[in-house]
Amino acid sequence: MEVTQDLSFVHLIGNASVLVQLVMGLLLFVSLMSWWYIFLKMFAIRDEVRLTEEFEDAFWHNQNLNELYRYANSSSLRNQGAMERIFAAGFVEFVKLKKQNGVDASAVMEGTRRAMRATYQREMDRLESHLAFLASVGSVSPYVGLFGTVWGIMNAFRGLANVGQATLAHVAPGIAEALVATAMGLFAAIPAVVAYNRYAHEINRLSTRFDSFTEEFSNVLQRQP
Amino acid sequence: MSATAYYEPYRLPAGILALVVHSVFFALLYFGFNWNRQSFSNPAMTVELWSSLPEDVVRLPATPKIEVVAPPPPQEKIAKPDIVMPEKKKPAVKPVEAKPEKTKPEKTKPEKTKPEKTKPVPKAIEAVKPRPDAKTPAAQSADARIADQQAAQHQAAQARQDELDAANGKVVDEFRAKINAKIRRNVVNPPGVAKDARAEFMVTLLPGGAVLKADLVKSSGNAAYDDAVERAILKSDPLPVPQDGLLFNRFRQLDLVFKPEQPAE
Repeated sequence: MEVTQDLSFVHLIGNASVLVQLVMGLLLFVSLMSWWYIFLKMFAIRDEVRLTEEFEDAFWHNQNLNELYRYANSSSLRNQGAMERIFAAGFVEFVKLKKQNGVDASAVMEGTRRAMRATYQREMDRLESHLAFLASVGSVSPYVGLFGTVWGIMNAFRGLANVGQATLAHVAPGIAEALVATAMGLFAAIPAVVAYNRYAHEINRLSTRFDSFTEEFSNVLQRQP
Repeated sequence: MSATAYYEPYRLPAGILALVVHSVFFALLYFGFNWNRQSFSNPAMTVELWSSLPEDVVRLPATPKIEVVAPPPPQEKIAKPDIVMPEKKKPAVKPVEAKPEKTKPEKTKPEKTKPEKTKPVPKAIEAVKPRPDAKTPAAQSADARIADQQAAQHQAAQARQDELDAANGKVVDEFRAKINAKIRRNVVNPPGVAKDARAEFMVTLLPGGAVLKADLVKSSGNAAYDDAVERAILKSDPLPVPQDGLLFNRFRQLDLVFKPEQPAE
């Protein structure tokens, strides 16, 4: 006797067991989130690199720090890069400490560096936000998909036990629907891993740039009268 | 200065792009595969080879049908003039009674005046001519003819039915032989079966040849052989049965006898 095999995609998902459907739903949600973060970070990092380059350019061509500070403070939040904020924080702290009497030069520089350090860390935290999520998705979602698949195949074979004459046609739909879960898990994981590695590398480079800028700016401030 | 709640200007475009990526992925899943079951179930195919082609046997009932269909048309042709006759008789007979000498010129006249009439009309006039004085006998003979034709038709139908039955019988025998052969091929004779063992099974079939059940009617005396035959019957599902619904009725309940010494094919 023939088993009806409607293998349309909708049927595959519709016929899956509740747990497999839950796994698929979770993976779909996770995948949506991870792609959202991927695009979000892509745009954010691209902007950050552009703004950093612009500011470095302006910094080395403009020796007037007051003017540079005004320029950095006046620009809107969107056009204010991490490096500008580090510069502004360091400059404000330096000016404040200079105004106080009885503070020696090394203490002024120490305070300025601390202020820049704090801003730098805050900016790094901002840049690295959501990256942990991408890393988790990349490492966990294949397992989640695999769990759904194993569960689905278990069900398929359990159903096979009730059939006297076992053919491939009896198990095939169950296995196919179970494998959809793995496919979704991999679909979520692969871009997340690629994006995580790429963004981690780019943020690392940015962080090196901020670090060197902090050192150079400290030198510039130290030379200030 | 600090922005603890991070400013993220690209929330909406990123979300839209994520949705686009997913819709592309599901579109690929949906349209990239051929999800229909045809391509899925086709590769599994069993082929059976037979010494005589079943199609030739099935065609047999078709040929007698053509032979039987051929006779009725002449009958109908004769019937038509008979029905027309009573109407045409009066104008045709009257001139014969009044002026028997002028029948010939008058015969030409109606032919001229009625050129639109079809061939049966002149035939009717001619048919009347040999017996011009008899009006009622003609009607009586017409009745007799109709009765004869009905009888002939009945006979023809009977003959056709007989021929069909004969042809069907052949087909039934053919299919019975096939069913037997297919089951016998699947019988694995257990060791130590008496050569004169005889297992009788009542097999109930569904249209299409699926085995609904196989009941042991008469045991061979060897339970292992009975089981082997029953397994073979279930393994032979679906059995070869005619597609014709009427013919299949003869296969709903099959009484099959199995003997171990039957040569395996």
